[in-house]
Amino acid sequence: MNISVENVRQVWAGRAGSEVVALAGFSHHFRSGKFSCILGPSGCGKSTLAQIVGGLEKATSGTVTIDHPGEPGRVVPLGSQSVMVWQNQNLFPWRTIVENVAFGLQMSGMPLAERTERAMNLIASVGLKGFEKHFPPQLSGGMRQRAALARALIMDRPVLLMDEPFGALDAQTKIVMQEELLKIFEATRKTVIFVTHSIDEAILLGDEVVVMTARPGRIKEVIPVDLPRPRSFDLVSTPEFGKLFDRAFHLIRDEVTKAMMEMNQPGGAS
Amino acid sequence: MTRTWDMRALAERILPTLSILGFILLWQVFVDFRGIPAIYLPAPTEIVKTLWEMILDGSIFVHLGATLLRIFAGFLLAAFTGIIVGLMMGMSRIFERIADPWIAALYPLPKISLIPLLIIWLGTGEGYKILISAVTAFFPIAMSTYAGVRQVDRGLVKAAEDLGANRTQVQLNVILPAAIPSIFSGLQLGMGVTIILVVAAEMIGGSSRGGGMGYLLIHAGQVMETEKVFASLVVLTLMGAAIIKGQQWLDRRLAPWAVLH
Repeated sequence: MNISVENVRQVWAGRAGSEVVALAGFSHHFRSGKFSCILGPSGCGKSTLAQIVGGLEKATSGTVTIDHPGEPGRVVPLGSQSVMVWQNQNLFPWRTIVENVAFGLQMSGMPLAERTERAMNLIASVGLKGFEKHFPPQLSGGMRQRAALARALIMDRPVLLMDEPFGALDAQTKIVMQEELLKIFEATRKTVIFVTHSIDEAILLGDEVVVMTARPGRIKEVIPVDLPRPRSFDLVSTPEFGKLFDRAFHLIRDEVTKAMMEMNQPGGAS
Repeated sequence: MTRTWDMRALAERILPTLSILGFILLWQVFVDFRGIPAIYLPAPTEIVKTLWEMILDGSIFVHLGATLLRIFAGFLLAAFTGIIVGLMMGMSRIFERIADPWIAALYPLPKISLIPLLIIWLGTGEGYKILISAVTAFFPIAMSTYAGVRQVDRGLVKAAEDLGANRTQVQLNVILPAAIPSIFSGLQLGMGVTIILVVAAEMIGGSSRGGGMGYLLIHAGQVMETEKVFASLVVLTLMGAAIIKGQQWLDRRLAPWAVLH
């Protein structure tokens, strides 16, 4: 599904009547079936953008439209075709893994037996077989993120929004999860918007890397990533990957410095 | 090395029991040695003897049963109303604004000061004893429930909405379960004050007809049956501990995830 973001601004009310501009006129066309990574320093509004596209936050101004796949010119309501995977997973701690994964189906009124069977299958496919009856706090971070991924995938929505999903994982777990996400993407070809602050991750996963400026966030440059699929982590050691990394790194370095300066100013931290 | 640690672990395990037994032993020796009259301080053996007599003639069970019934009636009334009011305050801004001044004004009022008014309105029967304990327990339960709803993780609400939950579904499937640990701690506070208020109400408005542990205590005190006073205190202590422990056990059974963190 094509997603058009036109001149989106997001302004938060700050302390003492001041305003914090999180996003300052973000425009980009996310193409259907492509994996787009949004790369930017902390506080650049990239998570906010994902939430706006998912219909979970309302932009101060600007528009987001998701084209109806069957009927050109028609758009679908925001949130109806997308599902979010969160950095902190947001699993319900009082529900077992299978109950968490089946949550969306339960809300849509699917009978218990049917939704449980579907959830069981998906849990097995993300490698969590045997942990169906565990509660989220009993699992490791990587396992919780697998469960969160299953909970999103079970919705079978064409747009997958991912807000730094592997940001809190240790380096090894992160690599395993990235490779599994690549497999899932290459098998399903969903439209993915993946928010990250990791340059390697953005290049390894994405068909394009949207580099953002420090706050107020806007697009600095879009780097196309024409590396062949299917991909694996071996890609990281190729010269092509290195070139893209350098390019992205030089773009982002100044922005990270700017973001750090702003964080240290009084009233600047988010 | 291991051996000394074993000894230390053993000591740590038996010290609580030893502490109680040692105290009772000192008490016994002190009373026997100094010849303290039982009317001031009965020996532990005398208290046990009195307690045993009360068990044999069944009187302790009559009083304990009456008190327990009032505690559970008052607690259930407070739990039901407190949880509902707390949930409504947390979920509806309008209801919160309506209820807030009442809660703010009545929460700090010592509820025991309502006893004269309740006796005027209801007499000294069951209604008064149950109501005074329910009114007292209502506040901590309502406040904890309200706080629990207000402190719900916004991320969980957003995640549920993203997965297609409507407003009612979010309230039932996210806000309510997320508030459960807070509701349970409110219920524990509520149970504590219910026990206090029922016994106090029995002491102030008790009669031989209604009975209860509070009545037993005050009556034994008035006729200087000090052994009976101590025996009643022992039973009250055990009753309170059993109720609180039972409630904690039930909480763990009903919401195992709440203690997993």
